[in-house]
Amino acid sequence: MTNLDGVFRREWGPAVAALARWSGDLTVAEDAVQEAFAEALRSWPRDGVPDNAGGWVLTVARNRALDRLRRESVRPGRELAAVSEDRWAHIEGVAVHPVRDDELRMMFTCAHPALDRSSQLALTLRLISGLTVPEIARALLQSEAAIGQRITRAKNKIRGANIPLRVPPAELLPERTPHVLACIYSVFTEGYWSTAGPSAIRDELCDEGVRLAGELCSLMPKSLDGHALAALVMLHDSRRATRVDAAGALVPLDEQDRTRWDRGRVTRGLDRLRLAAGAGGPYLPQAVIAALHATAPSWEQTDWVTICTAYDRLIVIADSPVARANRALAVGFRDGFDVGLSALDDVADDPRLARSGTVATIRADLLRRSGRLPEAAQWYGIALNHNGSAPAREFLRRRLAECSRDG
Amino acid sequence: MHYFALLLGPEATETPAPEDQAAEMAAYQSFHEQAAPAIRAGDALTATSDGVRISGGPDAPVITDGPFPEGAEVAGGYYVFEAENLDDALALARGIPAAKRGAVEVWPMVMWNEPEKPLDGTNWIALLLEPAHQTHAPDSPEFQTGLEQHGIFGAAAGEHIRGGAALQPASTATTVRVRNGEVILTDGPYVEGAEVANGFYLLNATDGDEAAKIASMIPATTVELRQLAGFSAL
Repeated sequence: MTNLDGVFRREWGPAVAALARWSGDLTVAEDAVQEAFAEALRSWPRDGVPDNAGGWVLTVARNRALDRLRRESVRPGRELAAVSEDRWAHIEGVAVHPVRDDELRMMFTCAHPALDRSSQLALTLRLISGLTVPEIARALLQSEAAIGQRITRAKNKIRGANIPLRVPPAELLPERTPHVLACIYSVFTEGYWSTAGPSAIRDELCDEGVRLAGELCSLMPKSLDGHALAALVMLHDSRRATRVDAAGALVPLDEQDRTRWDRGRVTRGLDRLRLAAGAGGPYLPQAVIAALHATAPSWEQTDWVTICTAYDRLIVIADSPVARANRALAVGFRDGFDVGLSALDDVADDPRLARSGTVATIRADLLRRSGRLPEAAQWYGIALNHNGSAPAREFLRRRLAECSRDG
Repeated sequence: MHYFALLLGPEATETPAPEDQAAEMAAYQSFHEQAAPAIRAGDALTATSDGVRISGGPDAPVITDGPFPEGAEVAGGYYVFEAENLDDALALARGIPAAKRGAVEVWPMVMWNEPEKPLDGTNWIALLLEPAHQTHAPDSPEFQTGLEQHGIFGAAAGEHIRGGAALQPASTATTVRVRNGEVILTDGPYVEGAEVANGFYLLNATDGDEAAKIASMIPATTVELRQLAGFSAL
């Protein structure tokens, strides 16, 4: 069965994208491919997986879609019946051919800025990645009903408002591509930095974020920001296995076992990074920071000077209190912990961080490293008062205990 | 496909300086020149103090005089665009000067009855407002029931109706703002949770009282009746 899973994962996105272009309707495409997979589950174990599995799925899905459209166009009371009938009669004789661009079209439609980010995310995971509604709900820690509703609403908006299923024309690309990149990045970050819930990492989202970023690069090889994004997620992902210890607590970067970092991914990430030279978006400086960590022989021998420069660059491109807080930590290693602490003061009161434990955690870390353990313990306590994932809280409790004991 | 653009912004509390007014006029003129091929209708609305709100439905209408207390942003104008898809409609909406100070809601239309001839005399727009969760897709039974009720209103109001439209549900709307040259899109209408536009009529009447009498017969949760400024020689 795992064999079929692999086939499904590979064929789902291209099939839905091709059917969507052919029928002009996302729901028709999604349901038809779903039905084709159900049919495959019945017949493939009996007859064997066909040589051209993708072609088989497309043909069955197209026939199912046609059946449905014929059924619906004769159903009385359907206001649009007449219109649909024409449309279907027209496409009935047209075969479905997958085109490489279909998937790119789908990425731009799912990440259309007239849809809010959470809808973009759910739609991308459903229509491109092929996760089921229960899987998406589990991955995003939301109810199935909420996810189902969000996907339906987004598809209705695409149809009702006529959001075009296309790669935007050249003059729109510079403003639309960042939305696609941000959507893919949030697939990855939802998996890699789970902010709540029992597990620190949700592997299927990390895998999918890395896959989608790579896919985007092959579809838009000239997008420097695309390469920067792919480098960033690949480099982060090289550390996935070491981010949580056996007890389920988050392991900070300086305590991770560097010998277990995935060297293959580091190499691929660095290759991507070279292709991204000159990118103007926020992913390049972040990828540079990730690369410097990934290639440093040890935490102590990390190139903090260049990391600080990259943070400066990031803040110019995309200023955020989180970036400034992380920069303060890097400054602490470059110029001394006291300097880092005063840099942190600049963002400590930012209301956007009011509900996050980021500043408290970084402050506690800088205090601990400069030997001010009682103060550090106090700030670890404050960080614990903010909601966080179970693994993050586990780590904070450990630090709190260390600081209290040693102090 | 037709799209309804509802212009929202702070209502002027005092008469603007002549040079500001001239600049505003020039900005709209230049927008009209650029967007003319796509504009099917449009006008500015006069002050909310000239408008009324009608609630209670045709059976028990309650008329409240403007200005309306809630909300700092009020409807100040509208356009109907013909555009191939939402991208093209949004490209038009971002060019409207109101997007820079306030916001423009872009609504896909279910149907659009274009005025048969240019509006003359005194005209009003009756905005049909509904709670967002009570806006229905055109293939729903609720929408069909609504159509019948509007048929009755149409027969009663006759020649006073110059045009009108039904809008797609609230979840299909997009709000457009332009700040520092950057376009900010929001999924959904401007005010989440409050009553939202669900359709409108363009009404012709001799005066405000007659317009209010006609608008009272409209089947809607709330009707915001606003006089058109008469800039509609587009």
